[in-house]
Amino acid sequence: MRTLRKVLDTIYLAGGVLGALFLICILVIICAQMISRWSGVSFPGSTNYAGYCMAASTFFALAYALNAGAHIRVSLFLSRMGRFRRFGEVWCYSIAALTMTFFSWHALSRNLQTRKFNFVSQGLDATPLWIPEISMTVGSAILAVALWDQLLRIVFTDHMGVASRDSMEIGD
Amino acid sequence: MDHFSLTIIFLFVLFLLLGSGVWIGLALMGVAAVGIVLFDKGFVGANLTDKAWDSASNWTLTALPLFIWMGEILFRTRLSEDMFRGLSPWMARLPGGLLHTNVVGCTIFAAVSGSSAATLTTVGKMSIPELRRRGYPEFMTIGTLAGSATLGLMIPPSLTLIVYGVTINESITQLFMAGILPGLVLAAMFMLYVACWYFLRPGQRPRAEPVIGFREKLANSRFLIPVICLVLLVIGSMYAGFATATEAAAFGVLGALVLAAAQGSLTWSTFKESLLGATRTSAMIALILMGAAFLSLSMGFTGLPRALAEWISTLGLPPTVLIAALMIFYIVIGMFLDGISAVVLTMAVVEPMVRTAAFADLGFDMIWFGIFVVVVVEMAQITPPVGFNLFVLQGMTSHEIGYISRTAAPMFLIMIVMVGVLVLFPELATWLPENLRNQP
Repeated sequence: MRTLRKVLDTIYLAGGVLGALFLICILVIICAQMISRWSGVSFPGSTNYAGYCMAASTFFALAYALNAGAHIRVSLFLSRMGRFRRFGEVWCYSIAALTMTFFSWHALSRNLQTRKFNFVSQGLDATPLWIPEISMTVGSAILAVALWDQLLRIVFTDHMGVASRDSMEIGD
Repeated sequence: MDHFSLTIIFLFVLFLLLGSGVWIGLALMGVAAVGIVLFDKGFVGANLTDKAWDSASNWTLTALPLFIWMGEILFRTRLSEDMFRGLSPWMARLPGGLLHTNVVGCTIFAAVSGSSAATLTTVGKMSIPELRRRGYPEFMTIGTLAGSATLGLMIPPSLTLIVYGVTINESITQLFMAGILPGLVLAAMFMLYVACWYFLRPGQRPRAEPVIGFREKLANSRFLIPVICLVLLVIGSMYAGFATATEAAAFGVLGALVLAAAQGSLTWSTFKESLLGATRTSAMIALILMGAAFLSLSMGFTGLPRALAEWISTLGLPPTVLIAALMIFYIVIGMFLDGISAVVLTMAVVEPMVRTAAFADLGFDMIWFGIFVVVVVEMAQITPPVGFNLFVLQGMTSHEIGYISRTAAPMFLIMIVMVGVLVLFPELATWLPENLRNQP
């Protein structure tokens, strides 16, 4: 059980680190694109590559963001539920876990299809789309696992879920 | 079931999921899935992954994590002390004195930061203790800070404007340019308020600052040089037309790293924290955008946006009345949702309405509307019961929310006046983007 806990936590953190690395990739690609424009060397498909990195940065980091409490919600009623809060949390995590399981299942089947029919990007990059789409398949699956993980702990232990931020708190 | 009751069920599920506390991005996905099933419009899964992938891998969106990262780096530098030191000699002799450092400090920091909370904490960290020490009334210190921090969203870069631009497919650069003049006008109005306080409440004036020679003032200004360079780099590169919003963001990150390194505040741990912080925040916003993209598809199936636009056009109301109604609508929504969620959730419904001829006749286009939305969404952030700027100030000053919102009330009124100014002079927002030269 303890090993499982360790493995899962490592996976979530690794996703976050991977997301961060892809964020650096975005920076590098954008800079390379500017340099290529000024120097006249062409860098075809740079915008597409930056887009794939954006998607990868997002999807890999989704579960890490969940466990860090970064995803936002409207906690107005939840925080007023007092000792019934556990039921509220079970409801929220169930909906979220079901949604993400559905999502990741379809992401996987989409990914298998783009691989099977070898769909290629319409842009100048002509990347086989199944490669960047791996980030969606893997990332959404990690988030789904993280949500089930939280839900099971709420139901069977004293855990109350992550203290995620209220929608009002994102401070934009 | 008929179309009308299906729409009612759809809206009910929307409010149920959002209100019960499901994470906003996932709630929007869930509602959208229910909508597609209700209206029997094809495959939920395929549509969902389609929309999610398109929205997440959108190139325009890459400006978002980069600007967030830039803000995270700057937050960990000594920028706030430097700005106060550089600005205070110039502000000290103005009517209203150092209170102007709040407004001007926020205006300058807003030009390198995309969020109002970051602006508020960075400027307030230094100005609140300094102004207190010099005996400025607390009411004015906190009020001007709460109000001026909202400039963080109006003056480019602005996270809300990036999200708005991505949602409705308008140029981010144009939206950024549109925010500059209204932002400066709003800052001027805040400064006018400070000056009015100075003349109307002479009893509250603190002891005048010692006179500083011009030479010394100039010497102190050297502290402003790094931040001014950064502003010129970010906004200047977009204005001059040799960088897109994303490229300007990349400049910003590199500039912020150089600035932090020059100050000696760039360590491995601050670098790591800023990068992971930016990754988390950008993943959070991207999840909301994915949900919103899927929801607007589903919302289209309900026919709600079109029906609403048609219904409103049959009422024959003048657009100014509609703008007033929308202002109230956004302030109410803003009581429960943050600015970004409020924008993505409503644009599917509001966009067809704003794109009608009645609005265009008055000079209101989608660019103008973006600036309008930013002002009203920010007004919601300084009104009770929930408003983020109020929470941040509560954390920084340990005053009650009620007191802080009273200090912010005059700023709220000034922002209502600002909406009026925008309605009367839409060119304020539209002139600069229209006259942008050679965009890349």
